[in-house]
Amino acid sequence: MKYLLYLILVLLLVPVQTTLLPHLSVWNIKPDLGLVAAAFIGLFSGEMEGLLAGLAIGWVLSLFSAGELWLSLLTNGGVGLLAGFLGRQVSQVTSISLGVALLLVSLASGLLAVANFKNLDLSQMWWMVESIVLPQACFDGAVGTGLYWLLSQRFDVTRLRTE
Amino acid sequence: MWMANTRSSSGARRLALACFALLLVALFLLPVQIQGLLEYLDGPVGHVVRIPLEAIASIDAGIADRWQQYVALQGVREENQQLRKEIEWLRGQNSQLRESAAATERLTALLQFKEQALPTMVAAQVIGRDATNRYRAIILNKGESDGIKPDMGVITPAGVVGRVVKTTGASSVVLLVTDPNNAIAGLIQRTRDEGIVEGTQQGLAQLKYIPLLSTLRDGDRVVTSGLVGGFPRGLAIGTITRIDKQEGALFQSAELLPEVDVSRVEEVLVIQASYGQSRKAAGGVDLPGKPSP
Repeated sequence: MKYLLYLILVLLLVPVQTTLLPHLSVWNIKPDLGLVAAAFIGLFSGEMEGLLAGLAIGWVLSLFSAGELWLSLLTNGGVGLLAGFLGRQVSQVTSISLGVALLLVSLASGLLAVANFKNLDLSQMWWMVESIVLPQACFDGAVGTGLYWLLSQRFDVTRLRTE
Repeated sequence: MWMANTRSSSGARRLALACFALLLVALFLLPVQIQGLLEYLDGPVGHVVRIPLEAIASIDAGIADRWQQYVALQGVREENQQLRKEIEWLRGQNSQLRESAAATERLTALLQFKEQALPTMVAAQVIGRDATNRYRAIILNKGESDGIKPDMGVITPAGVVGRVVKTTGASSVVLLVTDPNNAIAGLIQRTRDEGIVEGTQQGLAQLKYIPLLSTLRDGDRVVTSGLVGGFPRGLAIGTITRIDKQEGALFQSAELLPEVDVSRVEEVLVIQASYGQSRKAAGGVDLPGKPSP
């Protein structure tokens, strides 16, 4: 049942990310729901499921992006794995702390992507960081905070994580 | 903060770490092989993902259509009047062009030029935008099964949209002309000087590597040169809005306003075969104005 839900999530992420989110973008920046989803799966289901779900999300989303496959696999899989580890080590996760963690992880993956671009000079790199990477990291953090807050209003999230 | 109860054994943790480390090693040591392996699965997965993607895209298009037809009609009267004036002006232009076309036809017959076959094209709908923010790309509802391959040119009747960079069985990703990673061979229509059109970070385009002696000016139109595959010669790319000529530089460059508003494009034509191959290509038609469904 859980794996069926993961499958549906992966299949729905593509149209939401590519078709619906562009309408909700702010200054042409939309959140990376794949990254947020991988982090939530890792947090609630452990590092192995986080890793596998992150890899699946990264692979499927990369089919619908001009970006490189390895980067998508690495960032989404890595986030799932990291969230699994952090979820195990830290018991008192709040929506704010999760948002900050997501902001940092998104920032790291964005910087990795910028460093991977060829033929960019320093000013172009900086432009990408300040107009794409940084706003997106803030957006990802805000979406993560909001989602976790919504979940914590409806469910006992600490119990969900430790079950 | 304190330690949470562990959900799985440390063995699972080690296994996850080992899997990730293995993946990292494989991605860095055997990138082509890993990519090739996943490409076998791209086709079927692309077909499966296409179902929810097309469903949501059609709902989205329906809502946008309703919005445009009923809600966003403010100012239509003024626009209508302006368009009527424009039609009048274009009618005048049209009659002049008909004269020129007739003259060209006579001269062509006179010179016995060989008839050029028009490129074969396939019509496709835009069903989404790039999944990330880092690329300016659109997703089309046609893919490998419709004969679309990477590096094919994508246009609208107004001009160049971009280039196919990735395909799955049922969809393809088009890197827009405004993306800095895109490069298309261009030509200034008036001066016949060639250069390379690249996107800019501000969402426009620029023509680079223009010879220093070129007499280009603002308002000059840039078209495809047809030298590099994907696009035949003469398709509109944009209009020069600013010229950048630096002291001591080997070339000059110019900023372009793209002919096509790529942020609003909904239907496009994918150029499957350039001149000469169009009749042989299956499933396509030979008229730019009549794309295959």
